[in-house]
Amino acid sequence: MSKLKHLQTLAGHTDRAWNLAWSPNGDTLASCSGDKTVRLWTRKCPGSEEWVCSAILEEAQARTIRCCSWAPGGRQLATASFDATTAIWEVQGGVWEQVALLEGHENEVKGVAWSPSGSLIATCSRDKSIWIWEALPGNEYECVDVKQGHAQDVKAVVWHPDGEILISCSYDDTIKLWRESDDEWVCEQTLTGPGLGHTSTVWGAAFKRGGECMVSCSDDCTLKVWACKSRDGELWWAPLATLSGYHDRTVYSVDWSASGAIASGSGDNSICVFEEEEIASSDVNPQQKPSFQLSIRKLDAHPTDVNCVRWHPKDPSLLASAGDDGCIRLWRYQKGLDMAGNMLEAGSAIESSMT
Amino acid sequence: MDLINPSPQVFERKDTDRKARTKQELAEDVRDPIDALEIFEHVRDLTDPEHPYTLEQLKVVSEDAITVKDDEGIVSVLFTPTVQHCSMATLIGLSLRVKLMQTLPSRFKVDIAVAPGSHSTEAAVNKQLNDKERVAAALENPNLLEMVNNCLAGSYR
Repeated sequence: MSKLKHLQTLAGHTDRAWNLAWSPNGDTLASCSGDKTVRLWTRKCPGSEEWVCSAILEEAQARTIRCCSWAPGGRQLATASFDATTAIWEVQGGVWEQVALLEGHENEVKGVAWSPSGSLIATCSRDKSIWIWEALPGNEYECVDVKQGHAQDVKAVVWHPDGEILISCSYDDTIKLWRESDDEWVCEQTLTGPGLGHTSTVWGAAFKRGGECMVSCSDDCTLKVWACKSRDGELWWAPLATLSGYHDRTVYSVDWSASGAIASGSGDNSICVFEEEEIASSDVNPQQKPSFQLSIRKLDAHPTDVNCVRWHPKDPSLLASAGDDGCIRLWRYQKGLDMAGNMLEAGSAIESSMT
Repeated sequence: MDLINPSPQVFERKDTDRKARTKQELAEDVRDPIDALEIFEHVRDLTDPEHPYTLEQLKVVSEDAITVKDDEGIVSVLFTPTVQHCSMATLIGLSLRVKLMQTLPSRFKVDIAVAPGSHSTEAAVNKQLNDKERVAAALENPNLLEMVNNCLAGSYR
């Protein structure tokens, strides 16, 4: 049996915790909330299993802070707020300072994502637009493109690991893929339609480490896995699997771990972890689609909606979640039976032999 | 401003005293499950945004249109705007949600929707009312919050 063992609850936010982001080296976890603050959590001392709040970023934004994203170097943090701004924070002389404010959206900014190279920031808003900002030296940020295309709020933006594709998820039930072409970002594909796309708001998405697949989550209570295919020399995203029947309410968040596990967090208070079924190399059939199996369903992971799940970037069995209860929870994921159904992983084998 | 529904039909406030209380309900050491009548008591006296009447008097809400699954922690409220094209529907729905957020234990999930067939843009209204991000953003808007509070005022008297 797989396990999701609760390690610690990080309390401090005084309103719903919306979003989480691990710093690229995994030393810091940022959380943001309806209480208009960002909290930074770090280990109590190096090597400690206990995490504590080490900084509170506040007073830069007047309304809910909905989303946060680290620059790839881990030196800056971008935070998106319902007050229509995106703030950039940086450590200066040991203290986190707000060093820039990105203004331009007409209303609530709902998502922000720093590109893998660090040169671009994408933001999205209830105003239906996506803005691409270029990070210039001296904490200058310049808007280089504004994309219209979605019919409704844009809920989230996510960069492909190679930085060449940006995806956007929307209240209009679609996912759009954007690629740069001649200094302009163009919508290359829209994932939508009967039997193909989601049937309600798409809340989030995440890429598999290599970037060949992505997973999206929706108010339609499903997760969808998409694969990048080559067609007539062009790259194209096609549906690979729909994971339905695991969540009873909106799936707000999804993340794909470095070791290949998919975690999802939902309005049904649960967290699910899925593993890709391994196909034995002897019977690889190119027509066969990989399938995904539920590894564990943790009911009442929070006493409220789970708004965000994020795997640690370096320790792929460490998961953080954020809930409407304002708390952050840390979990240790132990994969039990492998998908062939009979062998235990070393870690859980040791544990079970001791009990 | 022209009223959306200038002359709504007004009904009488119902007497909903719990007539028969079971022995179990009267026992003090037993937790009474929340039922539809209790939810109705919370929302019946919300004031309509454009008339000095309660949502009950306008038959916007009724006990019959409330479903409670206490063990699963789910409350579902269907409401019926007085006219099909009522632009106040989202405000009424938002007020219902806020009232129940304020009064119910946080373990409850609340689903608010217009009664099937009662509104011309039913799907759009329902989607908006059940998107908690939009609800959260709306409640940070002082003008909207004031309108919601005006609707709620009557229910606290």
